[in-house]
Amino acid sequence: MSYIEVKGLDYSYTKNKKVLKNIDFSINKGDWVAVLGHNGSGKSTLAKAMVGLIEPSIGSIKIDGLELNQDTVYDIRRKIGIVFQNPDNQFVGVTVKDDIAFGMENLAVPREEMLKRIDFFAKKVQMEKYLDKEPSQLSGGQKQRVAIAGILAMQTDIIIFDEATSMLDPFSREDLMKYIKKLHEEGLTIIMITHDINEALLADKMLILKSGEVFAYDDSHSLMKDKDVFRNSYLELPVALEIANSLTEKKYDSVKEKLWEYVSMK
Amino acid sequence: MGIRFNEVSHKYSSFSDGNLSAIYQVSLKIKAKDEFIALVGHTGSGKTTLAKHMNALIFPTEGNVEIFNKIITKKRNRDIKYNEIRKKVGLVFQFPEYQLFEETVLKDIMFGPLNFHISKEEARNLAINALKLVGLDESYSNRNPYNLSGGEKKRVSIAGILAMDPDILVLDEPTSGLDPAGKRVLMELFKDIHKRTNKTIIIITHDMDLVYEYFSRAVVMNEGELVYDGSPESLFKEHDLSKNHLDYPNTIKVLTHLNKTLKLNLNVYQKTAIDALKEIEKAGIL
Repeated sequence: MSYIEVKGLDYSYTKNKKVLKNIDFSINKGDWVAVLGHNGSGKSTLAKAMVGLIEPSIGSIKIDGLELNQDTVYDIRRKIGIVFQNPDNQFVGVTVKDDIAFGMENLAVPREEMLKRIDFFAKKVQMEKYLDKEPSQLSGGQKQRVAIAGILAMQTDIIIFDEATSMLDPFSREDLMKYIKKLHEEGLTIIMITHDINEALLADKMLILKSGEVFAYDDSHSLMKDKDVFRNSYLELPVALEIANSLTEKKYDSVKEKLWEYVSMK
Repeated sequence: MGIRFNEVSHKYSSFSDGNLSAIYQVSLKIKAKDEFIALVGHTGSGKTTLAKHMNALIFPTEGNVEIFNKIITKKRNRDIKYNEIRKKVGLVFQFPEYQLFEETVLKDIMFGPLNFHISKEEARNLAINALKLVGLDESYSNRNPYNLSGGEKKRVSIAGILAMDPDILVLDEPTSGLDPAGKRVLMELFKDIHKRTNKTIIIITHDMDLVYEYFSRAVVMNEGELVYDGSPESLFKEHDLSKNHLDYPNTIKVLTHLNKTLKLNLNVYQKTAIDALKEIEKAGIL
């Protein structure tokens, strides 16, 4: 049995329009899955359903063998956390410390233990020097790191990043990606919703949504060799692979090899 | 002259918005018409602070900004109608779609013009025109903005500024949060508005691929200082971008990698993947 199992998921915001249609996929523990899709393809709706923020019309979501429903939602949220797009929308605390504590307070973690975890996870995302600062004094990238620390402090082992880097500048982005990579190496299961193909490249697998349906789900490398998959789902490949996939003659083999090498360097 | 910065500095006091960065001694000229400018710089470089001076949303702490011949200094001047300046220079903030609040698209777009004491009838006409300019047809008029897609919402909020018919349009990262196709559609739209109206458009962006492909002038900020003002071509050819915490366009990076690893002599300055592909095919590599 897989760690995360989504089966036959349907969701509609209004009566006649399904945003998610019969979504089926599973994710193993420790996997890094990038979720791609055009605007309005249902990516964020899927993320909200997976953390129990919305209830699917039909279908089931199982995490670590536990089926998500009204009775289990709080147990599920100990296993899976979400970082949203807008760093300003997820702050509740007066200080960074309060903010990291917030999730744990909801889980009734004892104070002693809470303080320990705040220090530990603030260090992990290198924000230990900012514990007494107000969130408004932080940069977007720092805010997202604090949000991650807050989730990690609840000791979840899955994090969904819902376009969590899209409001950041390239350097804060790279910085945040570095942390995510590290967390993945330490065993965190990552579901990353993104428009940025260069970020998606870091994932082991890609789940491509198109108009609310799973259009493709496979390991990243084999998906990217197929330029039609991307074109048909209104997505773009990285420049290097767009070029590589267009060079079909044998005399370009050395170039193709280097183009793939360029992509995997990241 | 549209907007002219004369040695403008802006230092924030600790009580004001802590998210904005200071700028130092910035001098810059922007024509009232025909300009299409990319304003780039890493977070904290001061580009948003610079943009906010462009319609007197904030005042310089040193130096002055001339906006359509009105001189903005540290002190408020009773003779200047700041509202009129804001009508001449329209500023679209980052993620403007969060600021839609009316129950229909048309009402939202009319909100600005109505604030400038324009009759309801006229505001309506302006709004419908603006809606067309952003590529949405009249059927959108009565729709609820909340039920639109991210890209559509962005267009509606941009239409809200266009409805005030500003001479200069300043947009803070209008393409962020959009999928790649949506980004291109929006950039084409700005180009189209620029071509049809000759309005000066200034776009803040992080996306160097877009800067290279679409713009004729790039203004670069770094740590509060204006460090470059010129064509994107010479910016990428002649300047060390890493010093300014900026990245190169992907085409340049990819072709440079090929040159280095395969000892080739490709001209790396290609703006699109198609151009890059042609350059490789021209070399006829074995």
